Amino acid sequence: MKKMIAVVAVALLGLAACGEADNAAVPGPSKTGKDVIGQAPAAAASDILPGSTMEKIKSRGELIVGGSLDAPLLSQQNPATGEVEGFDATMGKALAKYIIGEPKVKIVNSASETREALLANGTVDVVFQTYTITEERAKQVAFAGPYYTSGLTIAVKQGTSGITKPEDLNGKKVIAGANTPAIPAIKKLAPQAEIVTFGSDPECLQALKQDRGVAYVQDETLLIAAAQKDTAIQIVTKPFTVDPYGIGLKHGDDQMKKFVNDWLGKIQADGTWQQIWKDSIGTVVQGDAPQPPKIGSVPGS
Amino acid sequence: MSVLLDHLPELWQGLVVTLQLTAASFLGAAVLGVIVTALRVSPVRVLRAIGTAYVETFQNLPLLVLLVLAFFGLPEIGVKAEPLTTAIVVVSVYEAAYVGEALRSGVNSVSKGQGEAARAIGLTFTQSLRHVILPQALRTVVQPLGNIAIALIMNTALAGAVSIVELTTAAKNVNLVEAQPIPIFVGAGIAYALLAALVGLVTGRLERRLVILR
Repeated sequence: MKKMIAVVAVALLGLAACGEADNAAVPGPSKTGKDVIGQAPAAAASDILPGSTMEKIKSRGELIVGGSLDAPLLSQQNPATGEVEGFDATMGKALAKYIIGEPKVKIVNSASETREALLANGTVDVVFQTYTITEERAKQVAFAGPYYTSGLTIAVKQGTSGITKPEDLNGKKVIAGANTPAIPAIKKLAPQAEIVTFGSDPECLQALKQDRGVAYVQDETLLIAAAQKDTAIQIVTKPFTVDPYGIGLKHGDDQMKKFVNDWLGKIQADGTWQQIWKDSIGTVVQGDAPQPPKIGSVPGS
Repeated sequence: MSVLLDHLPELWQGLVVTLQLTAASFLGAAVLGVIVTALRVSPVRVLRAIGTAYVETFQNLPLLVLLVLAFFGLPEIGVKAEPLTTAIVVVSVYEAAYVGEALRSGVNSVSKGQGEAARAIGLTFTQSLRHVILPQALRTVVQPLGNIAIALIMNTALAGAVSIVELTTAAKNVNLVEAQPIPIFVGAGIAYALLAALVGLVTGRLERRLVILR
């Protein structure tokens, strides 16, 4: 019996070791995330105005963030540690540290269709979820930022020819993530394209590989990460849209908006923003962190 | 409210797909369900086991898992169909387990003497099922079948996961642009509620007309 246990234990250890090695090969945020938060600034007591949303969050001791658990590089739950990792997730932690003094965050998997309602009824304090600032949305929520700019690009199966620009998608079946800015963008640039949507990024990639569509339109960062892991797909254009991501806040909460914008300015100036980028998106995109977008630079922000 | 009117064409198109999916799947589930019931009450032990295995399998798997599995898994072994076809087949196969169980409860409600009498006058198993047992069983389970139909309508919303733009997905798409979830989803919810109410009304009428007083 003892021998059996030993064999099983060794086998399990072996498996665990394999898991470790595999994880290292998967591009993702580095483990330095904790240090970034350690160095991230905390607000002066005088910035937490009495009666404000910030004070409410501070006295609760936890920042409630509307976010995702399945967006690689941005906000993805690591099944091994349970931690949510990525650019958006770490930004949320840094904001929590700024307000509370500790990176205490609860992520509500808000799903893009309910973000506005969750902010309006106070279920979440902020939304960090690749939330593209649009004027329509700005009528329902307040946007701090933009805190990051991204763009859509096109991936195809390796060896597909004839698609080099968005207009080439006309008359073709195109895959897009459900509830992503890719849908309106395709409608605008290639009105004759037939759009097929799936709930998550892995499903879209699988559909592309199974010829459910000839092209997949998605955020460049996600596609770079996917193309690095999987040589069956290739990216065929440079980003052809500009999507400014904002931090969603309750509509009309100007105090909070100013507070969050001030925080953004601080972490951009002291290098925290750049470090968060390097630990997440920077693990698949070559080179230095980009210039952060200018706060308030887009309509709706 | 105006947001609903502005996007009426898209939402209407979604509703039409929901109706297509519901009608085709319910038909498929009814046909398959009768077969499942026949298996479960058959005198041959192997057939009964097959019927039981079918019901146990599909009642114990989430529909969403089946949909995603069929849509992404089957092409890996060379079986690839249009999304709508896949969804209709999967929803039919899934709901057939429930239809089968409802029908079986109806069969159990037909008194034993009926079956014995059918056999006594020389009917085969299939004949006695078709002419004696099932007609009575069906009349007893009009209401449960209506409930299954209502559940089926709601379940069609899951087909959005495999790229079908039914009512729920259409509502999500509209919300993506308009960012007004409350009016949009309340509107879609009312459409589902009306559909369910309609099914309830029809089955209520049918039940009163068909009921057998024992």
